[in-house]
Amino acid sequence: MIRFNNVVKKFGERTVLKGISFKVEQGKIAFILGTSGTGKSVLLKNLVGLLRPTSGEIYIDDKEVSQLTEEEYLPVRKECGMVFQQPALFDSLSIFENIAFGLRRHEKLSEEQIAERVSEALSLVHLKDVSQKKPQEISYGMQKRVSMARTLALRPKILLFDEPTTGLDPVTTQAVNSLIHELSRKLKTTSMVVSHDMACALSIADQVIVLDQGQIVEQGSPQELLKSKVQLVQDFLQEVKEQ
Amino acid sequence: MSAYMPKSILLFLEELGRTMQFAGLVFRTGVANKVPMHLVFEQIWKVFVQSLSTTALAGFFVGGIMTVQFTLQVKQFGALGYLGGLSTSGTFREVGPLLIAFMLSGKVGAYTSAELGTMKVTEQIDAIRCLGANPILELILPRFIGIIVASFFLLFVGLMMSVGGGLLMGIIFSGIQVEEYLRHIPTIVSIPSIFGGLFKCLVFSILIALVCTYMGYSTTGGAKGVGRAVVKTAMITMVGIVLSDWATSMIFDSILTLVMEA
Repeated sequence: MIRFNNVVKKFGERTVLKGISFKVEQGKIAFILGTSGTGKSVLLKNLVGLLRPTSGEIYIDDKEVSQLTEEEYLPVRKECGMVFQQPALFDSLSIFENIAFGLRRHEKLSEEQIAERVSEALSLVHLKDVSQKKPQEISYGMQKRVSMARTLALRPKILLFDEPTTGLDPVTTQAVNSLIHELSRKLKTTSMVVSHDMACALSIADQVIVLDQGQIVEQGSPQELLKSKVQLVQDFLQEVKEQ
Repeated sequence: MSAYMPKSILLFLEELGRTMQFAGLVFRTGVANKVPMHLVFEQIWKVFVQSLSTTALAGFFVGGIMTVQFTLQVKQFGALGYLGGLSTSGTFREVGPLLIAFMLSGKVGAYTSAELGTMKVTEQIDAIRCLGANPILELILPRFIGIIVASFFLLFVGLMMSVGGGLLMGIIFSGIQVEEYLRHIPTIVSIPSIFGGLFKCLVFSILIALVCTYMGYSTTGGAKGVGRAVVKTAMITMVGIVLSDWATSMIFDSILTLVMEA
């Protein structure tokens, strides 16, 4: 379970998150929707401790995490797998070593066991025969999936996706969205997806949170969202109809 | 008080404060954790190999230049026998460490800040943190130690090459014999001057390591940000090397005077 309680994040004089409160239940998929620059990625980064809230609390499974030190946060991050907007693969390492990176640091596994976990993670994202390649030798869409595999290899309880389909073609976008759905259901993880994609949110989310200028303007199930009177939600829905 | 200060000075002090905080973080991380030595050795080797050819070449010609410059003076006093000692002493005390510092700053400093800056803007550093690892321990410390340790190896190579270059130029331009050139090196190149050179080398390498890792690690703003980080690294290290050279010379000379008086 993830809970934000009145979270405020300021960068100097600029307030990016203005008192955000919501809850995502265990095993559910929550989509955070909003236009660019409304603080969606900042919200995720606050959850994993890459940024710290100016005020307010963040709970993961009833444990308050926003006050933890960097050292104390390390095991929390192992439980929260984050897939970044960019693939963020380590370009000096092979795909295998990229996926094994977290395993080598957290688990006492033999080389055979690491190889097994890497292959398991790659099969979860429907990739094979790429483990010896370098990130720059595979397509951008494949890099995104390797990035997911790297996160999944640590078997996190929470999956966070920061605009996972940005820069992808429509076919790959569809494949990545299906993958998020499949992974969250199969691994029974709590998932949060930052996205612009209302169509995808309506089809796979359990809960949708709409952000505008650092505030939540609407939240609820996809069915509830369809009845929303908020202008921004209407605009998003209009876009879906036009597609 | 800040209301009376020009903005540029305030910004400089702010940046200096952040750099010092970063240095403290690197130091604390190094003390509290087991530093991954395989990564440190990898970095020492990388820095050494990256700068070896240019350091050797520059060392050779600097030795040659020192010899050519001193030849005119020593010939006037009929003291050609001291040519090797004077030229080598100057290189050990001043030119050698300075040369290594400029080489490291131009090649390794710029490379490291660009490498770390790119990792930062492509979210690789955030990814390391999200995988539950500490980027200071995994990325910064190995590079920090690597630059410092490799600079001593490079100093040694540069100095040996400068002796070789000086000797060759001495033979060509002054007609001095090999034995004559080498004879006064041990008497003029004293232990304090060797320590002086080593001390300068340490100060310069810490400065370069700190500036390039900090600039890379704090990069923001995409490709432009990486470019800015590299330019700032080059600028700050060059100015910093010259200023710290002056400061270390003053400090070391004062210590030496005190020791000799005692």
